[in-house]
Amino acid sequence: MHSDYPPTLPAEYADIEFENNAQRLPLVLCLDISSSMAGQPIQTLNNALAEWTRELHDDVSLSYSVEVAVVTFGGNGVAAWRGPQLLAPRAPVSPFVPAHMFRPPQLAAAGVTLMTEALELSMHIVAARKAELRASGLQYYRPQICLVTDGLPTDATGHLTDSWHRLVPVLADEQRARRFRLYAIGVGGITDRGEQVLQSFAPKFNARLQGFPFRELLQMMSASANAEQKGAGDEVFEKIFSQFKTQRPAWES
Amino acid sequence: MSGLTVFLDGKPVTLAELPLKGGGQAAVFPVVGDDGIVVKLYREPPGPEQERRLMRMLTMSPLVTRPTDASQPPELAWPTALARGSQGEFLGYAMRRFGEPQHVQLIGLFTRAQRLKLFADRADWRFLLGVAWNLAFMTARMHYDNLVIGDFSSSNVVVDANGFVTFLDCDSIAFNDRVTGELFPCLMHTTDYSSPERQAGGPATRATDEFALAVLVYQLLTAGNHPFGGVPHDSASESTVKDNIAASCSYVVRPERVVIPRGTIDPSVLPPELLALARSAFGPGVHDPATRPPAEAWLRALDKERALVRVCPGRPLHAFGSHLTACPWCARAALTGHDVFNGPAAVPVPGAPSQPPVPGEPWPTALKVALLILVVVILVVIAANA
Repeated sequence: MHSDYPPTLPAEYADIEFENNAQRLPLVLCLDISSSMAGQPIQTLNNALAEWTRELHDDVSLSYSVEVAVVTFGGNGVAAWRGPQLLAPRAPVSPFVPAHMFRPPQLAAAGVTLMTEALELSMHIVAARKAELRASGLQYYRPQICLVTDGLPTDATGHLTDSWHRLVPVLADEQRARRFRLYAIGVGGITDRGEQVLQSFAPKFNARLQGFPFRELLQMMSASANAEQKGAGDEVFEKIFSQFKTQRPAWES
Repeated sequence: MSGLTVFLDGKPVTLAELPLKGGGQAAVFPVVGDDGIVVKLYREPPGPEQERRLMRMLTMSPLVTRPTDASQPPELAWPTALARGSQGEFLGYAMRRFGEPQHVQLIGLFTRAQRLKLFADRADWRFLLGVAWNLAFMTARMHYDNLVIGDFSSSNVVVDANGFVTFLDCDSIAFNDRVTGELFPCLMHTTDYSSPERQAGGPATRATDEFALAVLVYQLLTAGNHPFGGVPHDSASESTVKDNIAASCSYVVRPERVVIPRGTIDPSVLPPELLALARSAFGPGVHDPATRPPAEAWLRALDKERALVRVCPGRPLHAFGSHLTACPWCARAALTGHDVFNGPAAVPVPGAPSQPPVPGEPWPTALKVALLILVVVILVVIAANA
């Protein structure tokens, strides 16, 4: 298939690709940085990313195979980040960075909520990365995409739009074919309607959480990545997710 | 801040609020005021079978007759007490703590970045060979004691700075209680280390352990390469380690069948006897459990090689098998620019004052002799029973 991200790697990562034949686990953080996230929420998100990055570096198991890409929606549109570096649209570089080299971007909140386009970009970079890995003879686990938002999809002018409906059948097909696992998480003051959008995107793995528990969210992503590495069955992922969703472990109930 | 209070043998202990690590089934917590132990709590109420299993385990003390000294940790993180709630309900169990930084998951030896970060100037090929020896020894000893590891992977074995290994998840071990005759099966497995019959839902056996051991030893001797890596030329779309195992598709045996990633280390770094064992495990042994090399075969072959390891004078951390006439790591670095054991900055510049000291003998001589005697005894006993 054609890829907008040909397998040209910046020099600093070339050595990493060379390192071993580990099966890779692509992980995409698809993050809402629209104006409603301004202030405390975006600060909380930046702090959580920094702390999670430290944990990721210290996790010998995850750092063996996880690679992280960040997609954001806000400002004037959607963007992919390679670690802290904002990639130009159509840049001939993969946004995926091996976990042990990942550094988080410093995010600022503004603008509109192009949620549909951001998910499309996330699916696109995952497909491109898979093609790239396969061509290099590298295997991969089922990728994880984690959508986080506090709002409703808008168009480029900031008006609510129903364009997200076009994604629902696509996402359903992709998830049925086990091409990736999508997590759709509503935070802050997300509305009932916002929650409904997330439910139709990710019927199994959606949640509406109080406040901005980004730490717990990222830890859940790590726990799921661990389960993926172990080859766990679907019920394990559902268990991990339901514990995260209720925000308390079973032994406290 | 502290978390839950649980009772170990009736004594209350307070757990840290956050677990050290948590999986789908359980989480492991530090104990406030006692760095020596941890408590593993199940996420779901564990049920009477698991409670019974742990009660029986507490009456057993496997591998205790093995010679050891203070520098060697036990090979099993065996349960030391049941953990109960205030109503006496069974929640989990306590065990000795084998935490970082002293104890690192085996998988930490499989990438250069982690090797350099966690083992500094120790983790050369001689060290990896020694870890493989310890792993084969642990497996042989457990099989001798009628224990089946069951869930055997690079994540639930930890290794210390001397290369000694400890198996962590003892509550999943399969065993047949000699006193009561009860059978406790292993219900967990890790797909990347699971033989086809285990993937298909079969029980954990010595033969499934032998498959996992073969994969782990191969990974150690190739600095982390999985023998079932690579994408088959004829694969439809998605392809995983699990698929390659099920299809008996290993590049160690049939390199022409897969696209081999360019970083993959040539299997010929394994000395011939070890390579022959690997080929039998990853060839006929994939679908025929009876042809997989037993742990003792790995142990014998690894033991022979340990005394013969050669050290490259050219670069630090370059050690290799006696079957090679030149350093394979230097050859690879010259060819590709990638040094498997040294980071880009760690290569000594000409005229640099000195190289890092060669790490000391990882096994004290007395212990080595004692272990060797024991191995011989085990082999004799096994041979006698065969």
